[in-house]
Amino acid sequence: MSSAKERMRNKKLKNQPSSVTYSSPGVGSGSSHCRNGGEGPSHGRGHDPSPARDRGSSHPIHGGGWVRGHQRDGKAYGQELPKAITASGFIKARAAEVTAMLKAVNKTTGSVHAFGVLPKHMRRRAMSHNTKRLPCRLREVANRMLEKSQKLGQKEKKPQSKTKSRKARRRHGNLLLDFNRRQRKNVWLETHIWHAKRFHMAKRWGYCLGERPTYKCYRACYRAMSSHCLLQDLSYHCCLELRGEEGLLLAALAQLTCKDSGPTFAAVASLSGRRQGSTLVYRAGQAPAQPLGPVLFLWRPRTQDSTHRQLWLWIHPTLKQDLLPELRAVCQCSEAVPPLPTLEEMPPAPAPPSQPPPGPAQAPALDTETKGPQPDGAKASKRKRSQGETETTGPPAKKVLGDGTRSPTTPVTWRSSTTGIVLSDLTMEIVRYRLIGPLSHSVLTETLEAATECDASSPSQQACFWWPEHCKDERNMSLHRKQADIFNLLKGVYSTAEVPSGSVLGLTVDDPRLTLPRIRGKAMPSIQQAQEVDEEEESRRELMLHGVPEGCSQSPLWERSVRDNVTDHKTPEQELNRMRSEVLVPGSRLQPLPQGRVPVLLVQQPGKQAGQEQASWGVGWDLLLPKAWGMAFWVPLVYRGVRVGGLNMALKHSQNKGAPHFPHDYPDCPAGKRFQEEQEEELLAKFKRRPPAKRTNYIKHGCLAPFRCPWQQLAEEWELIVREEAVTGGEEAKGGGSSETLAKLLVPKAGEMTSQVDVAFTILRNRKSLRLLSSWCRPTSSKGQRSQRQWAVPPLNPAVAASLLASNWRSLVWVRLSLLSKGQPELHAQVCVPAPEDLRRQRGQPSCSEPLEPLHTDHFRSKLKQLKKHRKAKPTSSSSSHKSDDKQSGSAPISTSTSTPGPDTSSAPTIHSTPGPPSLSAPTPLPSVTLPAPSLTPPSSSPTSDLILGLWPEPLPSVSSHCSRVTLGWVSQGDFSLVSGCGEALGLVSLPGLLHMLLGQPEDQRGLVLLRNPSSLQYRLAKVNIEV
Amino acid sequence: MTEPRSPVSASIPQPPPVVVPPPSTDGAAVEMDPVEYTLRKRLPRKLPKRRNDVYVNMKTDFRAQLARCQKLLEGGGHREICVHGLGLAINRAINIALQLQASSQGALQLAANTSTVELVDDLEPEDPDEAGEPMTRTRNNSAIHIKVFYPDPQ
Repeated sequence: MSSAKERMRNKKLKNQPSSVTYSSPGVGSGSSHCRNGGEGPSHGRGHDPSPARDRGSSHPIHGGGWVRGHQRDGKAYGQELPKAITASGFIKARAAEVTAMLKAVNKTTGSVHAFGVLPKHMRRRAMSHNTKRLPCRLREVANRMLEKSQKLGQKEKKPQSKTKSRKARRRHGNLLLDFNRRQRKNVWLETHIWHAKRFHMAKRWGYCLGERPTYKCYRACYRAMSSHCLLQDLSYHCCLELRGEEGLLLAALAQLTCKDSGPTFAAVASLSGRRQGSTLVYRAGQAPAQPLGPVLFLWRPRTQDSTHRQLWLWIHPTLKQDLLPELRAVCQCSEAVPPLPTLEEMPPAPAPPSQPPPGPAQAPALDTETKGPQPDGAKASKRKRSQGETETTGPPAKKVLGDGTRSPTTPVTWRSSTTGIVLSDLTMEIVRYRLIGPLSHSVLTETLEAATECDASSPSQQACFWWPEHCKDERNMSLHRKQADIFNLLKGVYSTAEVPSGSVLGLTVDDPRLTLPRIRGKAMPSIQQAQEVDEEEESRRELMLHGVPEGCSQSPLWERSVRDNVTDHKTPEQELNRMRSEVLVPGSRLQPLPQGRVPVLLVQQPGKQAGQEQASWGVGWDLLLPKAWGMAFWVPLVYRGVRVGGLNMALKHSQNKGAPHFPHDYPDCPAGKRFQEEQEEELLAKFKRRPPAKRTNYIKHGCLAPFRCPWQQLAEEWELIVREEAVTGGEEAKGGGSSETLAKLLVPKAGEMTSQVDVAFTILRNRKSLRLLSSWCRPTSSKGQRSQRQWAVPPLNPAVAASLLASNWRSLVWVRLSLLSKGQPELHAQVCVPAPEDLRRQRGQPSCSEPLEPLHTDHFRSKLKQLKKHRKAKPTSSSSSHKSDDKQSGSAPISTSTSTPGPDTSSAPTIHSTPGPPSLSAPTPLPSVTLPAPSLTPPSSSPTSDLILGLWPEPLPSVSSHCSRVTLGWVSQGDFSLVSGCGEALGLVSLPGLLHMLLGQPEDQRGLVLLRNPSSLQYRLAKVNIEV
Repeated sequence: MTEPRSPVSASIPQPPPVVVPPPSTDGAAVEMDPVEYTLRKRLPRKLPKRRNDVYVNMKTDFRAQLARCQKLLEGGGHREICVHGLGLAINRAINIALQLQASSQGALQLAANTSTVELVDDLEPEDPDEAGEPMTRTRNNSAIHIKVFYPDPQ
């Protein structure tokens, strides 16, 4: 109460003229003015005596000052009155006071509402909105104030008022314009709006992609993958097309691939066009070094007596910027071709559909994407023809120039003048959906229906549709019938895995929207009825054994003209709805329209192929469609009971398959490197968002790089360790005459240590070496060995290991780790070599025997604190020397250089009290001392900026020997695996390290490693699997 | 199909490690050189599965499989169940059926059938550029189907 009064008083006094002073205690006549002052007209406050009493008691000194109210005790009336008063002076002073008072009285202070005049009990809540609730006398004032406030509000809203009303914004044309504006940076897929309603969208690689659904479905998606069907939109993958003579193409592409790591572009199975192939591409001519990334490729089946071939490469968008220049280089495609000539240059189709003159109508369609609703086919083509050359698409057309991976101005086609190879970029031209799961074929057979044939006799009024033209040729029709038969055979197959992996089936289907069921159901195989027919059974067996027969992989989808025709003449949804409403029996099947025939390609995706357990998990089909038909197929697929997964499910899919996922698990590829950098930034930003006290202190956990993996450093260190040991061990061996060791065999090679200093690390992909390693990693006495017996694998001994190591000093090996007991590996968990006593304990009691990492000390913490203090005390002082002195005396007796502050070296002695494998304890201090020498000597400013509590500053000390167990590598994906029911991780380990470890381990415990999460001290035993 | 949900459940028979050398090979792949081809076994053909079908594998714990059968017979209300075993799992299937019979004090009866299942192997050439098409071959493996049922009271 009193404080409020005080405030009020201060407010009023604010406006008093400076000439007036109230300090003098005894201006008696002055006080007479003051007695009734302070009651503004706007405040209808009563003249209650109690506050005055309060005031009197609380400010006794102010007696004669600016005091309000009647003073009871009369103390304020001064005892000494002046003897004489000068009239003029007195009046002047009073006049000033009067004006001040009037000013104060007239001014409304603060936000005083009109209804503030009313006593509290008469106020109502809605008065501020409805002035009629106020008494008449106040209404006018209130109205004025209301107007004023509204004006103020409008001023704020003014920029917003430019946008139209919601209704206007939702109008079709405006909506499309807005959509176009929103995809300027990140392009949308055709299913974007469907996804955006249901998914958390992420902006990746120039596209807007669904990251994960907003509803909880992790397990449901897993179940769908393993027992029914999961659907993904993979249209963001880029497609590159190569056309040319087969021999020339193969010769050019051979420079990019390496036979050792698996099938290449020339693999016979895929060259015929019956199978999809996959390979890893390298930089031209660099084959086993510098890899770029994995590629899926598809050859177009040979047409009769023609060596002219067509090849599609399907790549991840991050790979495109690396691969495209390489392809142009190897194919010598230097001339950029403007889009028009490529159409005329098309190879002769098996049945060239007579097209409207291709030039004007299709020129815009090359670069622009006319997705979304389009006018009726016939009308559209007429209009296009009549309007001729100009681009007729008005503002309401939905078009996106370019795509997420290239700017609209770059050419899309290149031709080589010497070889005649044409390279074109078909990104976003073809929609690709992936169905994962053993029942994906039944989803497909239920959704799609082979196109009904067009009776050629009826004179089709529009010659512009491709299907009637296509039907005229009898060869095409017989092929179509064959394809339809094979497609129908799939109905009787129980699992997608029964079809040979990578089979390609071309097909022409009816518009799937015609057969859209009214309610969502679940597609199931109909197996019993199909088994009755013997003939069918026989042909099904044929399909299972030998795959799709020759020729049935051909599809009109390969023709650009057909694709464009289908895209242009898509029936809009509106038209279909109209037809539905006109059907006599509601819900009955619609008559297929002449333009509603879509060429598609079905490609079988093999499931898990490597390893023995869970064979062909995650098998599925890919569905390739011409663009603009995305949603027409998406919704019918969803209506067959598939689950839809996002990017994170794609990751889980490859993780469960035990396959590396691009670009996450390819750190030796440029795209993988970029990804790791981005990931580090992201994780670091996430880490920094937490309050410092709540962050994990990774230094204390002995985790050097929780957000990224220093692969290069690891590879170098292990090379050093093994070579070093080879030198020392070799000398011993000479002296002692002991049996041959890895060390001894490596002695001659150890001399060349310095020769390869800046060799980048690579991932071992040579299948023979991997197969060797894979057999060595298994304990020899376990079951499941028999199946591998047919391989005459040399047993692990130092000689073989040395020969394997000779060419792969800086290699990493891709391994799958499954935990033996509990535990859930995380991203960037450490893979470590178990010490002999760990293994001994594990043999004794397999349960509670997993070691703990001793807690590390964080030397940077005190340093940070000091820095903070220094900054507070004297912000400009350079405190580096002082700091380092402190550190030296405290904790780092080893380091000799005064400028190196302790932490990087001091961690070594504390930790190596429990050494790893004894053989390694000797060489380990070596890297830890040599590597970080130039580390923390910078001038005062730089460490302060990049020192973050809980993270090691750059450069890192020795990564391999930082902890009590020697680090072998890191995990790049880790989770609890629902497939195998235990924690599983995929990661990379150093090859020299792995061999070293395997040689040191007893036979029956070979391939056991320790796994430790970055934010935990607990090691867990895990089994190494290398799958080829 | 009698069952509404998830016909491909976890109980689908895992391919038991087959010891038997392939007795019959396809004509194309009679003489295969083990160095040039990688053998990859496909899963055995899956058949429609009713609720009272139990496919026995060698991976799941024996007691768990036995308990599942007992649950079907007692709690599940089925008058009969079928226990299927392929290859190495034949032994185990017989074992389960006999255990079931023994524990029921003679109330259950068995009726065994044997069959031959055709399995498909993929032979993938090591050097795919020259070796030619990937081949497949078929081989046969024995299977057993044991009907475990309560006889009709007559």
